[in-house]
Amino acid sequence: MMESRVKEIIARVLNVPLDVITDELSSGDIPEWDSVGNLAIISTLEEELQVEFPLEDLFDLTSVESIVAEVNKLTPSND
Amino acid sequence: MIDTPHSPVLCEIVGHAQCTPDKIALVDGTQRVSYARLVSMIGATAVYLQSLGLSAGDRILLTAEKEVEFVYLYFAAHVLGIVNVVVDAASPQERLDYIAGIVKPRVSFGSRQVDGGCRAIRFEEMALGDTDVPAAVNRSLAATDVADVMFTTGTTGAPKGVCLSHANIAGSAANTNGFIGTCSDDVEALALPLSHSFGLGRLRCVLTAGGTLVLVGNFANLKSFFSVLESERVTGFGMVPAVWQYIKRLSGRRIAKFADQLHYIEMGSAALPVEDKQLLMELFPTTRLCMHYGLTEASRALFTEFHSAAAVLQSVGRPSSGLVEACVMDEQGHPLAPGIDGEICVRGNMVCRSYFLPQDNVDAFHGDWFRTGDWGHRDEDGNYYLTGRKKELINVGGEKVAPQTIEDAILALGIADCACVAVADPQGVLGEVPKAYLVRGKSALEIADIKSRLAGMLPPHEIPVLWEWVDEIPRTASGKVQRLKLKS
Repeated sequence: MMESRVKEIIARVLNVPLDVITDELSSGDIPEWDSVGNLAIISTLEEELQVEFPLEDLFDLTSVESIVAEVNKLTPSND
Repeated sequence: MIDTPHSPVLCEIVGHAQCTPDKIALVDGTQRVSYARLVSMIGATAVYLQSLGLSAGDRILLTAEKEVEFVYLYFAAHVLGIVNVVVDAASPQERLDYIAGIVKPRVSFGSRQVDGGCRAIRFEEMALGDTDVPAAVNRSLAATDVADVMFTTGTTGAPKGVCLSHANIAGSAANTNGFIGTCSDDVEALALPLSHSFGLGRLRCVLTAGGTLVLVGNFANLKSFFSVLESERVTGFGMVPAVWQYIKRLSGRRIAKFADQLHYIEMGSAALPVEDKQLLMELFPTTRLCMHYGLTEASRALFTEFHSAAAVLQSVGRPSSGLVEACVMDEQGHPLAPGIDGEICVRGNMVCRSYFLPQDNVDAFHGDWFRTGDWGHRDEDGNYYLTGRKKELINVGGEKVAPQTIEDAILALGIADCACVAVADPQGVLGEVPKAYLVRGKSALEIADIKSRLAGMLPPHEIPVLWEWVDEIPRTASGKVQRLKLKS
């Protein structure tokens, strides 16, 4: 499942337990998810999932839910 | 009302409470705190600190959390002459325990606890009463007394405590406000961490100016930061260069729509490429784009404003006020002529008198000139330029990292030898990032294994981004790593 992979990557990048990564969690909600953490999430997802987030979408990727939706949009065949 | 002649910063804040009591000083989510309320809460918190048996000269460990309670505690300690040791809520436990071991706090406030059995009180546990005028302090306090101890990264990795007096923090605020022009009409969004000299300085600047400070978690959620700029009609904010790269990457030129309302943006803590300064000038044609050069030990020593210094954008600026002096010196402390590289030294009202531990003061000053450890020169017009760094710290987006901290963690994994140096961030965001050179020895670990093990040992910004296996680490005869050889 793409959703669980995305959550696993976010948890790993931020170095927090997986259960912290709920759908509602947004950037800035926890100290680990700061601007540097957010960039690390974006680049790790792009690298490991072989996707490229369009520049105009990055501004709106502010929550776990929105990131999962964006990855699903970019990888329709995997979901 | 509280009487605090030893603290010029508090005198200003109390003055605003008297002249403009209903003016909003702090915004924290839905909470809006007026100047009258702020001073009353500072007083009530001081009474509470007295009820805990704390008095002048005691030290408290204060976890920097962006909540109004932090602000009350921070200033309440100043009222009584209690020394704040402000620490980052995200600090590794080892660092907090080390700091506590040195400063021996009577109480730690906030979310973190430390070794040594000192009492720990969370902000929400503080029991404030109705009284907001503390009992008279039984010691005559002076502006030269230590107000805060801020810990910075030492070259060996051991944190160094910087002792800042009430006069130092007031001097820095006055110099900064004088240069930037922050005034009582300003509304500032504070997304910088309060545990750093930059963010804590912004808090003092805005409140001494009588303006309004809006507390914002951080810059990660730019959408919500932008909505705060809009809803609170923000007129100024501070950011480090890495945040500017982040804003550019995630939002393109969207921030330019706030250009007309922003009176100022303060930047600092790391270098910003000239192209970015030019882009900011284009996007914010009427905003004062102020960039400081300074250290925790000498906050905001130099300043430059991009529009007015357009011909010398490479410069880090000139002394921030008439009460600050800078000088380029040789190793013996002799002044050098314009154009000649040497160590940049500064003196003035904001320069700390000493470090907490006597051994850290060795070679820290030439007389009353603080040695910054940065190399550079000045031109004939008095503009200063940085050309290098004597200290080997890696500046990761404004966070200073000692190579030895990373090396110790890597060596603990059984790698035979290693050395870390600063390299330019390949993504162009953080300025510098650590690169690790490794000598394998008998270890079977691969880079991916090392990275994942370091994740539990070091904060994310300290984990090297680039890695290279080498046959040996170049060292001097005395065994010191020759990092410059690795960088070349």
